[in-house]
Amino acid sequence: MVAVSRRGTADGDADPGDTDDRERDARPPTVAVAASLVAGAVAALSAFLAAPLGGALVGLATVGFLAGSLRRSARILSWAAGVGVVGIAVAGYLGGAVEPLLAAGVALALAWDLADHGISLGEQVGRDGRTRRNVAVHAGTNLLAGGLSVAVVYGTYLAAAGNQPVAALALLLFGAVALASAVR
Amino acid sequence: MSARPTEAGSPGDDAASRETGDREATPATERTPLRRSETARWDGIAGVALALVGVGVVTRQPGLVLAGAVGLGYAVYARIGEAPEATVEVSRTVSDDAPAPGDEVTVAVRARNVGDAPLPDLRLVDGVPSGLEVVDGPARIATALRPGATATFEYTVRASRGEHEWEPTRGITRTAAGSRERATELATPTRIVCTPELSAGGDLPLRGLTTIDHGRVPTDVGGAGVEFHATREYRRGDPVKRIDWNRRARTGELATLELREERAATVVLLIDARESAYAASEPDADTAVEASVEAAGQAFTALLDGGDRVGIAAVGPRDCWLSPGAGTAHAARGRETLATDPALAPTPSEGRFYGSLWLRRFRRRLPADAQVLFFTPLLDDYAVSLARRIDAHGHLVTVCSPDVTAGDTPGTRLVSFERRERLRELRGAGIRAVEWGDRSFPVAVARATGRWSR
Repeated sequence: MVAVSRRGTADGDADPGDTDDRERDARPPTVAVAASLVAGAVAALSAFLAAPLGGALVGLATVGFLAGSLRRSARILSWAAGVGVVGIAVAGYLGGAVEPLLAAGVALALAWDLADHGISLGEQVGRDGRTRRNVAVHAGTNLLAGGLSVAVVYGTYLAAAGNQPVAALALLLFGAVALASAVR
Repeated sequence: MSARPTEAGSPGDDAASRETGDREATPATERTPLRRSETARWDGIAGVALALVGVGVVTRQPGLVLAGAVGLGYAVYARIGEAPEATVEVSRTVSDDAPAPGDEVTVAVRARNVGDAPLPDLRLVDGVPSGLEVVDGPARIATALRPGATATFEYTVRASRGEHEWEPTRGITRTAAGSRERATELATPTRIVCTPELSAGGDLPLRGLTTIDHGRVPTDVGGAGVEFHATREYRRGDPVKRIDWNRRARTGELATLELREERAATVVLLIDARESAYAASEPDADTAVEASVEAAGQAFTALLDGGDRVGIAAVGPRDCWLSPGAGTAHAARGRETLATDPALAPTPSEGRFYGSLWLRRFRRRLPADAQVLFFTPLLDDYAVSLARRIDAHGHLVTVCSPDVTAGDTPGTRLVSFERRERLRELRGAGIRAVEWGDRSFPVAVARATGRWSR
């Protein structure tokens, strides 16, 4: 900025310390949006395999992620994630298989996470900045967390609760949560 | 869950990090931790997960219970870890630390993680000086750095007049899940100084307030000179060259020609640098201060070349005073003052401006025989009253006013009208005024000179 008259022309930016608002494109980086859409598509496909209606809802959530990214609104993303969770619940209620449901859950979490991460990157760094590495690391750690969760949960399911009633499974889960809280 | 970045060094997706630096900035980076905050982005995940588990139990669907359990895994993922401090050493290299105005300067920033912990999510926002405009590439990067790894990025700024010091780089780190955030200021001093060459102005007509030294301002004092002033009776000892021989031939009397003495003047270039003067006709255009400084530079060289003594002062919250002088060293000082004095910076100075205090100090400093060239956009009445007050105190004032008003909306048209009224008022009070808009300052002066009487 060379002159004061150049100040304050940016469209609603959260960071007051900005000096190059005018030059900066605050939209989320393309790579984050694209990765989020891919993850959303995987989620929709998995949910569709479990139950078509659930798959449709998760697909709707993916469209919501795209809309939230374009409008830079975390609130839209939260609503879309909510629709996706309902979609998974519907797919589960309709008797979907366990494996596609788990895959859909992890992929949905990844899609939401990347879209939300993209918005914050857009705000703080901008679309033109180099962000690919950051997004890759973020997606990688998210997948790692999801993968570990699935491994533990699914392993427990296969080993201990294969033929147990669902209530026993839930009780086991609450035990695990209580343990985690105590450790924390 | 480890938060290890996958690869360090110069990854493939990064743009080529060319070595453009001529001068390595001092490597010491001073870190100041700022705020720590929760981003709240994973809020509610545990509730959603437990709800799924509940639905699964009620409907006796193991798939839902398991999906909910995975959701709880994410809740744990969001809670672990603390946002690490940005243990980053930033070094900045500029391609040219003394550019000319308008030159593009490439700034290369290297950030190295000198801590022991990996930074899974690091965003760096470089503190570009407010007087410089980034013309290529954002001065920002988002990356991930394992210990010892380096990230580089480059951007280009357009140099503008003045001394520009980089503000601290802001480093924002997050946990791998992004649930907590911490900001750190990374101060690495870098500066560039941009001193424009003063372009020579044309002939600048001054008013008739002069010193006793010989110069080029014609005065009303008769004596030796070029221009006719009066004739008087011959006195013994008058030079033969100045005897009016025509008259001698006509009447037989001896008379002596009086010519206008040409003397040097003392001039103070007064530049309006109050916040109101930082106005421009368009968001991207140069401000009135910029135009004033440029014109003052031209006047400075022209007057100094003409043998006048020239000083520089600024009307504004910050003090700026270069007392009138002459000579090469003074010329260099004047150039430096116009280029880098903080009172004339490309962005407004902080602080309040107290008009009467300023005027008292200015009058105390102003030599008695000094006249004033007042550069102001005339956007408020204070400028007019200041010009009239200085003029009333016997320092003849010439107002040089860059026109930065635009005329496309009713509001700007009103401002433009008010400015014209102020010019009229000044001229009515017997103060000379030159205004220039798109034309260059010397052209405007040349046009105005035709109208002026001495």
